[in-house]
Amino acid sequence: MTEGPAGTARPVDQRHERIMAEAERIEALGEASESVAPYEVNQATIGTWLDAMGYDNERFRQGEAPPSMAQVWTMPGLGRRRPPEDPLSRMTEFLTDEGYTAVLGTNCEQSYERYVRVGELLRVTSALDSVAGPKRTAMGEGYFVTSRNTWYVDHPDGRSEKVATMLFRVLKFVPRERP
Amino acid sequence: MRTLEPGQVIPEWSLPMTPTTIVSTAIATRDWQDVHHDRDIAQAAGSKDIFMNILTTNGLVERYVVDWAGHDAELKGIAIRLGAPAHPYDTLTFSGTVTSVDDGVATIDVVGRVSLGDHVTGTVRVAV
Repeated sequence: MTEGPAGTARPVDQRHERIMAEAERIEALGEASESVAPYEVNQATIGTWLDAMGYDNERFRQGEAPPSMAQVWTMPGLGRRRPPEDPLSRMTEFLTDEGYTAVLGTNCEQSYERYVRVGELLRVTSALDSVAGPKRTAMGEGYFVTSRNTWYVDHPDGRSEKVATMLFRVLKFVPRERP
Repeated sequence: MRTLEPGQVIPEWSLPMTPTTIVSTAIATRDWQDVHHDRDIAQAAGSKDIFMNILTTNGLVERYVVDWAGHDAELKGIAIRLGAPAHPYDTLTFSGTVTSVDDGVATIDVVGRVSLGDHVTGTVRVAV
């Protein structure tokens, strides 16, 4: 038995069925949540990133942003949270309540349509792509949860231009007892 | 940008890491998760120390490939699998090989090793 969020005991039998039903429900919601970057793409943030990475590329001091910064622009910020309807959060919280309490990032696959520029404001949507498990791993038994983020630049004429996408996979698992 | 051909090997690049490396990159990627800057919390969670965040791993992979391919190289994507954590006082060593050039895109395999094993393995796609 595992303890649910309100202290309700959830029987372990049919746990897999409950998890896959919830996965199907959230997947069907599609791009269920979105958030807008708190700041436009800006040179100060790019310059700080270049310095921290020790990366001296003049191209990114002249108005373009490094492509792998896509995710940086829409990070929530200290003390801020993702929208409560975020599909990845919803699925991982459900798995936590079913006893899969630990989390580990395992895969990240980013694709870039184009490099974004200083002054552009990014918006990101989030969807649940897939849930697979239970699988036995070196970390313990768990489920692989894959989310899909899509970054857009919204233009004045109403067109939303996709600029980058990311598949992100985490393992939600029952941690092994430590010796 | 240099001409990319299958079989080309990218010279290794080693990055010795300090707490400043881990913390400054976490903050520069706007990732405020405490395990990337607070050793007490990281250790309480079972880690030996703070560890590098994923956005930084992506950034270093980008830097490694573009510093070699040429600063005008156009990346189409980075796909990585995450392994051993990258801690302060360890060294992260990147190696890479061009595996294919097809339909205007070169695929480059990249590995980043630390003392505990492979921190990151992945592929970078570059427009040619």
